[in-house]
Amino acid sequence: MKKGKGMRFVGDSRISADKTSTVPKDYSEYPGRTEAFWPNFLLKEWLVGSVFLVGFLCATIAAPAPLEGVADPTTAGYIPLPDWYFLFLYELLKYDFASGPYILFGILILPGLAFGALLLAPFLDNGPGRRPPNRPIAVGMMLLALASVFWLTYESASKVDWKEKAEANKPIPPSDLVIDTDDPGYAVYENSCIGCHGDSLEGGAAGPSLIGIEETPEEISKIAVEGIGDMPPGMFTGTDEELEQLVEFIMSVNEEAAE
Amino acid sequence: MIQKLYDWIDERIDVAPIWRDIADHEVPEHVNPAYHFSAFVYCFGGLTFFVVVIQVLSGMFLTMYYVPDIENAWKSVYYLQSQVAHGQIVRGMHHWGASVVIVMLLLHTMRVFFQGAYKKPRELNWMVGVLIFFVMLGLGFTGYLLPWDNKAYFATQVGLDIANQVPFIGPELKTLLAGDPKIVGAQTLTRFFAIHVFFLPGALFALLAVHFILIRRQGIAGPL
Amino acid sequence: MSDKNNQVSRRQFLNYSLTGLGGFMAAGMLVPMLRFAVDPVLQQKSAMGDLANVGLSVDDITEEPQRVDWEVEQVDGWYESNVNRTAWVFKDENGDIQAFSPECKHLGCFVSWEGSEDYPNEFFCPCHDGRYYKDGTNVPHTPPLSPLDVYEHKVDNGILYLGEPKPREEA
Repeated sequence: MKKGKGMRFVGDSRISADKTSTVPKDYSEYPGRTEAFWPNFLLKEWLVGSVFLVGFLCATIAAPAPLEGVADPTTAGYIPLPDWYFLFLYELLKYDFASGPYILFGILILPGLAFGALLLAPFLDNGPGRRPPNRPIAVGMMLLALASVFWLTYESASKVDWKEKAEANKPIPPSDLVIDTDDPGYAVYENSCIGCHGDSLEGGAAGPSLIGIEETPEEISKIAVEGIGDMPPGMFTGTDEELEQLVEFIMSVNEEAAE
Repeated sequence: MIQKLYDWIDERIDVAPIWRDIADHEVPEHVNPAYHFSAFVYCFGGLTFFVVVIQVLSGMFLTMYYVPDIENAWKSVYYLQSQVAHGQIVRGMHHWGASVVIVMLLLHTMRVFFQGAYKKPRELNWMVGVLIFFVMLGLGFTGYLLPWDNKAYFATQVGLDIANQVPFIGPELKTLLAGDPKIVGAQTLTRFFAIHVFFLPGALFALLAVHFILIRRQGIAGPL
Repeated sequence: MSDKNNQVSRRQFLNYSLTGLGGFMAAGMLVPMLRFAVDPVLQQKSAMGDLANVGLSVDDITEEPQRVDWEVEQVDGWYESNVNRTAWVFKDENGDIQAFSPECKHLGCFVSWEGSEDYPNEFFCPCHDGRYYKDGTNVPHTPPLSPLDVYEHKVDNGILYLGEPKPREEA
């Protein structure tokens, strides 16, 4: 490229009017089998990227992203779990030395030390050697940290019944279900069930939704009288005829919802 | 035609020097899997960037349907996943990509660590990389709340309670994140949305730019 | 150029001015924005609401903790809603009414009375196996730091009213 005197510019700009070649330099003179990034090496990278992308897309199609029911602060007994990459921190807080009076150790000191050491690794491990055998302390600490993170994650994840958890928290599709409030069964429902199961059977703080249930009519009438799980017996107070109306009403809403 | 267009642009902005800065550099033998198969470990950084690109694009498109409002957030996610064509794939890419990016980042970090590639003169780039790791974890944490399902709500509750336990500034820190001292609600969701979509990506882009510029200036660490 | 050390050179002066002016511009932009962002932290805590009728007759309170749900009005910024509150209510040995918040003092999960079959007669938190005795104090060597919060309560006409959960003073 020409410099100084003799340079020509485009108009009044600083853009050189002389053409320069964009053909990559010849790297064959460099030591070893060096090659140009563009296009030789990038092609290989993109081949890897394509294989990766195909696998990734297949995975997204095979496994839909999970979505649980809409957030409800009063869902009792919900066991919150963070994303898997925070599980080890979450599990750490179960241990005696990282909870109770030592919670600071669990939430600040231990993670702080670990992440601080990671951030400052080049200064803590500042010897000249790069091979792992030349720096046994740094490599040993990292292996120890990795092992504990893997172990904590495993400990946390192995206790969870993932299938059951996903099953219990299925999203309930928002429905434009119209509840027939003139149904004689609704009057019975209002008397006995509405307090816990909500005015359109949607469930609430104390009772689950009654839409999308799988019980048979006989089971429903039995549950209404005898209770189930957290539901105490004797919630339904009325005659057998009213019980029949109630069950019929609940079943009819479910049939409508299933459509 | 294309040549003409290129010449026209080249005359105005002088492409060659820009081109040389970005793409014209050499790749040494020891990172090339074509010569040493074990060099595949050098792919993880590039793959991390690839997944980041997927995350940015899918995230941009997700906001076409998503609303950060507690009444509608869950409904909009449910809608885009179940009603919109390819919604399951786009949300799936963003959801699973968030996990894959952490895995790739971890592998990349381990490669650099065990090769001792962070030693002089590359200390700064290592620190920038660790900061990128933190930003990614922050993106994961704030993104978790956005679908506003039970999992999101309760996990965020726990995360905020951890912030609450920090000595001296705990309650203030929690309020700053959640928007309210007690409630995890409407203000929490908008805050997390802003952090997830604007603040952290802004920081991420800046850090990535520094990361790449430093790699180009310093070159890849030599063979062990 | 004789007393070079004491004098600010022209370039230094320009650099100082530039830094100062840059700082002014940054502050001018950021001060309103930062105050805007930290507003929730600095807001006055709203006055405690009235105690709410939880629809439970005092006569129905037994020695066995029972779950009580009621609704309170909650203002979350621009979003006003009725939210459900939950308490564990029972009478202690002295016949005094106790109303505990179900929020675990470890990380805020939902604590249930006899929530685990392994620990009868205790409150149990499923997240990190936190436990509390019936009087609400945390079982030592489980994660929670302090006893369960206690709701303010009063009895009017034989009906229980509950207010805000308050941390219990350390005995």
